[in-house]
Amino acid sequence: MFKKKAFVLSSALFLGLAGCSTAEEESGSSNDSGSGSGDKTVVDVFQFKVEFKEQFEELAKQYEEENPDVDINVETVGGGNDYASALKAKFSSGDEPAIFNIGGPTAVAEYRDRLTDLSDTEAAGAALEGTLDTVTEGEEVLGLPFNQEGYGFVYNKTVFEEAGVDPESIKSIEDLTKAAETIDSKKDELGLDGVFAMAAKEKWVDGNHGSNAFTSADFNDSALEAFNSKELPFTKADQFKTYIDLQNKYSVQPVVSLDYSQQVEELFSTGRVAMIQQGNWVYPTIEQMDPELAQNVGIMPIPVDGEMKMPVGVPQYWTVNAKADETEQEAAKAFLDWMYTSEEGKEAVLTQFKFIPAYDGYDTDKISDPLSKTIYEYAQEGNTRGWTFLGYPTGWGDVLGANLQKYLAGEASWDEAIQASKDEWAKLAK
Amino acid sequence: MRNKDLSFWLFLAPVLFALGTVVLIPLLYGIYYSFTDWNGVSYTQFLGLDNYVTLLKDEGFRDALWFTVKFSVASVIVINILGLALAMLVTSKIKSRNLLRTVFFMPNLIGGLILGFIWQFIFTKVFDSIGRATGIEWMQGWLSDSATGFWGMVILMSWQMAGYIMVIYIAYLENVPGDLLEAAEIDGANPWQKFRNITFPLVMPAFTVSMFLTLSGAFKIYDQNLSLTNGGPFNSTKMVAMDIVDTAFKFNMMATAQAKAVIFFIIVAIISLTQVYINKKREVEM
Repeated sequence: MFKKKAFVLSSALFLGLAGCSTAEEESGSSNDSGSGSGDKTVVDVFQFKVEFKEQFEELAKQYEEENPDVDINVETVGGGNDYASALKAKFSSGDEPAIFNIGGPTAVAEYRDRLTDLSDTEAAGAALEGTLDTVTEGEEVLGLPFNQEGYGFVYNKTVFEEAGVDPESIKSIEDLTKAAETIDSKKDELGLDGVFAMAAKEKWVDGNHGSNAFTSADFNDSALEAFNSKELPFTKADQFKTYIDLQNKYSVQPVVSLDYSQQVEELFSTGRVAMIQQGNWVYPTIEQMDPELAQNVGIMPIPVDGEMKMPVGVPQYWTVNAKADETEQEAAKAFLDWMYTSEEGKEAVLTQFKFIPAYDGYDTDKISDPLSKTIYEYAQEGNTRGWTFLGYPTGWGDVLGANLQKYLAGEASWDEAIQASKDEWAKLAK
Repeated sequence: MRNKDLSFWLFLAPVLFALGTVVLIPLLYGIYYSFTDWNGVSYTQFLGLDNYVTLLKDEGFRDALWFTVKFSVASVIVINILGLALAMLVTSKIKSRNLLRTVFFMPNLIGGLILGFIWQFIFTKVFDSIGRATGIEWMQGWLSDSATGFWGMVILMSWQMAGYIMVIYIAYLENVPGDLLEAAEIDGANPWQKFRNITFPLVMPAFTVSMFLTLSGAFKIYDQNLSLTNGGPFNSTKMVAMDIVDTAFKFNMMATAQAKAVIFFIIVAIISLTQVYINKKREVEM
């Protein structure tokens, strides 16, 4: 008897609760999407780049001063997977931001019904050729590029000089092998722990970036093609093996527990290794650790087929939420336009954010760090490779990374590791 | 248990409210979603048991489950032995016992993430330098293969939980009647016999409580796993909780992850209920 009563009562309570909570939520969101407090238009920005959080907030404040009727709310959640899950959580809780970031075609497909057409913005017109490929659908432009980034081997010029190796002369994997051998033989005199620091613990380093150099040819340098592909041909898997083996052989061991901070901060920034596979994003860290060493770093592409092509891509795009109301959408577009096309905005993008611009009309002499400069030069010459890894099936980079770890730890043969990764691609891409 | 009138339910309401909103409703939703193709935002169709069938074929999940079981068993044993040993130490007559109690309990106050990073440093740096300096091979290259990854996790977990379990054992140890021990001593029992035949049986109930705590604790571990090994190398130290999070957020298969979570929930529920049942039975016998 009691039990029955308890059940009825508590279920009634729950139903009541459920009713309440949805009602509350609705009223809350309608408040948000309205014109906000007073006459101000509130634009919620949910972005992922931790590295420029402060500078970005600074710029937003500047914009608010110029446009007193707009209120820009910036929220930042750290890179990679954390951002993706936080964004998903935001969407499923109904607290949707007006401006958010997406990576490649995978994210476009996922959030398609939330993406506004941005083709009428000035920034979209100024975007460099090729940077909009993955976010263009017919006439519609669904995202605006953040910036350009590139990666390859970041190397310590001083070490190369002392070892008598000219980095400019490296044109193929054989050259790179020879260079590594030479440096390795003089390891003790140069005070090195190893030639490379291979961060195999970070699955994205080889799973996404490393592999990209060897898969981009399969997909004609197009992330979209990779995204639409049901399987991975991986025709250059043999070269990839040579590349992985070379790094592993001359790297500080054990590679499978070597992480990003060890690689960049502890080993490279202190001059204990000659080169690491990373991109221009490591520069601020190196500069912070040792400004003097930072003066003497260079970057070269990963050699494939005897070609030195720099993988340059757009890591992330700004998008405007189609479910936000009109005024908010307009304000969001105006802000993005201002950031990338106004003089103040451009200045901040170059000198404060330290971005390699993905837009026309920038004074590129102002690119201050040597890595970005080299990458920009490669991009200008068109000597680049696409970031096809942005079109890998969701999570596949991690799968490959884990399989490579297995290979490096001697738990699987190369063929097994590659085959397992291919199988997983077929499974994930369906 | 008599006055179940309106005021009874009124007092209970806040708890029911809290429990309902944060536990029961999400749980029911979760179970429901596990039968659909939910992607985190919306779902289009009801799939029935499809997600569960996929699970049966999911090697990653099986490996994670097996690893979690191995890890839990090892942790439970190590933690309880350590906890009991520490409790014996601080209830003995050594001078610094009050200080030691605090010290042993302290790891429990540090968050799992930070602990993971601290131990990562110890394993990969301190162990390695000692190993290199002395030439001891087994101290080098920790966390770079599955065996050291496994024991790394067990050590971390034991270090964190032993202090907590110690407190529980202390409570029981201090309740062991002094006259019994004294009588045994007069009868000529040596310390081991006293422990084996008097102390140990009397602290057995504590063992049940501790086992329950450590087992469910070890099963649900996530943050230590994330910061110490992040499942590596090659996902060999990935535990179930992490596998679920990865499925949901890395591979974006929300409904499959939900199904995994339901299975996980059932397993943890079975363990917990068994423990409670055994616990209750013991109490009656005493």
